Amino acid sequence: MSHILSAQNVNKKFGSFQALKNVNINISKGKIVGLIGPNGAGKTTLLKSVLGLDSCEGELKVLGIDPYKKRSDLMKEICFIADVAVLPKWIKVSQLLTFTEQTHPNFSLDQAKQFLSKTKIKMDHKVKELSKGMTAQLHLAIVMSINAKLLVLDEPTLGLDILFRKQFYDNLLNDYFDNERTIIITTHQVEEIEHILTDVVFIREGEIVLNANMDELTNSYFEVMVGQDNYEEALSHKPLTMRKVFGKHIMLFNSTSRDVIETLGEVQRPSVSDLFVALMQEDQA
Amino acid sequence: MSTFKALLQREYWEHRGAFLKTPLIIGIVMGITLLLIYFFTDRVDLVMNSGQLSELGSKSLSAIDPKNIKLGLDAFMLFTAYIYHFILFIIVFFFLLGSLYDDRKDGSILFWKSLPVSDTQTVLSKLITATIVAPLIFTVGLILSHILIFMLLSGILLLNGINPFSFIWANINFISNWGAFIIGCFIQSLWALPIYGWLLFSSSFSKRRPFLLAIFAPLTVAFAWYWYVAFTNFDVIQAGLFKTILFLFSKAASPFTSGISFSADEIDFDPRDQSGLEVIYSMINGLSNTSLYYGLIFAVIAVAVAIYVRRFRNTT
Repeated sequence: MSHILSAQNVNKKFGSFQALKNVNINISKGKIVGLIGPNGAGKTTLLKSVLGLDSCEGELKVLGIDPYKKRSDLMKEICFIADVAVLPKWIKVSQLLTFTEQTHPNFSLDQAKQFLSKTKIKMDHKVKELSKGMTAQLHLAIVMSINAKLLVLDEPTLGLDILFRKQFYDNLLNDYFDNERTIIITTHQVEEIEHILTDVVFIREGEIVLNANMDELTNSYFEVMVGQDNYEEALSHKPLTMRKVFGKHIMLFNSTSRDVIETLGEVQRPSVSDLFVALMQEDQA
Repeated sequence: MSTFKALLQREYWEHRGAFLKTPLIIGIVMGITLLLIYFFTDRVDLVMNSGQLSELGSKSLSAIDPKNIKLGLDAFMLFTAYIYHFILFIIVFFFLLGSLYDDRKDGSILFWKSLPVSDTQTVLSKLITATIVAPLIFTVGLILSHILIFMLLSGILLLNGINPFSFIWANINFISNWGAFIIGCFIQSLWALPIYGWLLFSSSFSKRRPFLLAIFAPLTVAFAWYWYVAFTNFDVIQAGLFKTILFLFSKAASPFTSGISFSADEIDFDPRDQSGLEVIYSMINGLSNTSLYYGLIFAVIAVAVAIYVRRFRNTT
């Protein structure tokens, strides 16, 4: 089993609407994969299938297990956060931890208590008494105390302020992630996660349009800041996109003649969100 | 097995208010009512008759045949038990209606589903809570309420110079009356299983309002069936749906009378004999009714569908 997740020709239809079209993807151990796409592109649909929350057609295996048929087995090895507000409101923190400990074989109560001791969350708090950020901290503390092979985060920081968001990803990276683990993240705030990703997957209208390693990606795509003098020449190399900043043109290239273009101006690494916008436009053109 | 225990405990945590506090509160209200009545009559008596009536009352109480005291205490305990059964049914009704819907509504279902608990275990834990856990908690509540009321009564008797131990405590059939309540709870669960199954199905299936699906869908079908039969005068399966629904509800809401048939000539019921033991025999006899077993088959199907739907319905 080299792949944590493998999907072959996965399709999902809602009535006549095809939410996933022939999705083929393999994710191997030790990766942090960003699943990025516009609203309604099928991110959540794909994740739901991966987590066994919904059925799909095609061959989908997570850790070698069919997620929909054996969700409860799969959940011993993977865990997920679907949205910050999903913890039950009526439960006490201590009850939540006890319940998780009794139902989850790979959960460490001590570790969760240790994570929580660094926050303002008390054991006898009820979830409804916690702020949104604290609820997210609590959820993350539970998830990080589970020794899972795969962690799936679907918009985990939605509705949180910037301090909590930053802390959330810092905790995740410093206290949780190692080479034995794999993380899949979807979010609209791509800028916040792009420095932690090892791989990106772009999805549009149910199709995977790009699946690449971050290093490869930044090698084949690059931005050049071109002054007025070289503008015409740079344009002849057919940039994917172009924007104007302080009288200079920033052009995004996907080109084999990097050596030539590099002489035309200052080269910089494109952000994932710029790349994403470019690729989405390219496909539409 | 620890998973299932945790699931039951979870239900208890969430619904402790309904399951435990309700019977206790009813008991306390009954106790307060008793005190209010006593003190009110006592004061009126003092003002109007300078206390002669209570003196007379306590004298006549001492003269009552212990057999009649027993009968009276039995009647009191069985009557309160009857009320508690009815309230238990209502509480379980609404518990089940929300059990597979509320977590979809507030989104917490995705947290529950992120734990290694199968949907079958989840749905069954709700059913076991409804049929076993809630009745047991209610039994504790009833026992505590009875003891509270008898203690208040003892206090009142003491104030009037009557020995409560020989008067009340020696005459109570604890075992047969409380036994009748517990057995009644389980017989109630048996009769109510088709209703419980249907509620689980409605709770699991419904996207907007489980209550409407649970109540109005069967009533609409029953209504249509009623008129269909009335117009065609051709009753294919010889079953009135309204009648079936009413039948089930009456049996489920009051298990003490579940042994009694609906047709008048089959009734073998003497209210003077209604001690706890008589009620138990009557309820157990009622189990030979074949409708019970058709109901159980329906319940199994409804629960299976509820589990099936639970697997993929994660939102409302």
